[in-house]
Amino acid sequence: MKKIAALFLDATDRADWREALSEVADIVCLTVDGDLASALRALRDSTADTDFGVVMLSARLYPEAYPELAVRLRAICPEAEFLVISREAGAPPLRSLLADRIRHLTISAKHDLAGGEQLPAVIAMLAQRRPWDAASCLKTGTPVHSFELGSSEDKEGVIGALERVLAGQGDEIELLRQKASLLADELMENAMYGAPRASHGVPMFRKGEKRQMLPHEVIVFSFGFDGETLALNLTDNWGSLEPDQVLECLTRNADGYQDADECGGRGLFIVWRFLDQFHVSVQPGRRTAVGGQLHLASKLDPATPRGFHIIEEEIAA
Amino acid sequence: MTTAKTSNNGSTACDYFALEGTIDLHSEALLMAIPAKVKHPVVRFDFAKAGRVNSMGVALLLRCFKEISGKAEIRLEGLSQMHAMLFKMTGVFLLATPAEQNKEGAA
Repeated sequence: MKKIAALFLDATDRADWREALSEVADIVCLTVDGDLASALRALRDSTADTDFGVVMLSARLYPEAYPELAVRLRAICPEAEFLVISREAGAPPLRSLLADRIRHLTISAKHDLAGGEQLPAVIAMLAQRRPWDAASCLKTGTPVHSFELGSSEDKEGVIGALERVLAGQGDEIELLRQKASLLADELMENAMYGAPRASHGVPMFRKGEKRQMLPHEVIVFSFGFDGETLALNLTDNWGSLEPDQVLECLTRNADGYQDADECGGRGLFIVWRFLDQFHVSVQPGRRTAVGGQLHLASKLDPATPRGFHIIEEEIAA
Repeated sequence: MTTAKTSNNGSTACDYFALEGTIDLHSEALLMAIPAKVKHPVVRFDFAKAGRVNSMGVALLLRCFKEISGKAEIRLEGLSQMHAMLFKMTGVFLLATPAEQNKEGAA
């Protein structure tokens, strides 16, 4: 098992995350305290026996205080997954993360919040480089319903099935139902019209046109609801969504939505903002999975930035 | 399916459009026809009977509102909490003002 590294700005910053990281084993915590060179030397020394699988950076340290940090760390830990951890008030600008190809961001409240992410679970997922699993966030025994799309006409039927699983009265469940149907709509539209690419990356189908799935094409929408948490996942077997393209699209829409009618990738941006936790995993040319979870009583504001996890899966030889 | 109803209220000199059903790619013809119908300095869009608005629906609303915004003030009515959240995050409120801000939690 590879080790975990965590770098903090100072002792106050480190103390702020102590409780959240208390259950993480094999973690090396370093405090920069104004001397980055020493902290990096200590990190390099720690790699003598085992490499780091995950490197965590506090958002108080990166990108604002030390914008060059990600580049310097990659030289020491070239194989590690990089995760920026941030409090809601200090979420980092996505443009820096995009430039440094950092594909994991967790934004957590100081105290447990419905829909909030648990760092130990995130770190375990990254350390093993395993994609997010819809069942993992649901209570044991919760059924996960899966629908393979045969044609574009199936979309509304699948959304109807999802809405029936979320039956009930009250403001919270009504809002969850509305969010869920929009998320399902965006995920299926992206898979049916965004994913299929001909040579040179040209889209094969026009948005909105009626279409049958191709003989080799597999698009599966899955969901489960355990009474509190809704998990949604869409997989296609195109694998055409590039990890960097995901972050680029989130950044572009977050930065400049006043020109958003000309801006691509808005569907993915909406999915990111409405989910409590957003996960993408890609096996290039083989498989894309986009999904995440949403809590019935989520207190996360869709108008504010959200965390994300974008994993490029290794293809077994 | 989106439908729009138009009515002119003489006392407030405004145009009024009620949107119904899902607002998506299939709403293009209807939404793109609206700017040419605007005759007054204030335009009210009523979303009380509108359902899901997806990303293509947002794109069409933005295009429609951009065309109108130079010649009239746009007010949005009957927004659900979901509409308000969506419009806030996608920049629709930069072009149009939620008229029932307090009631609908659109702040």
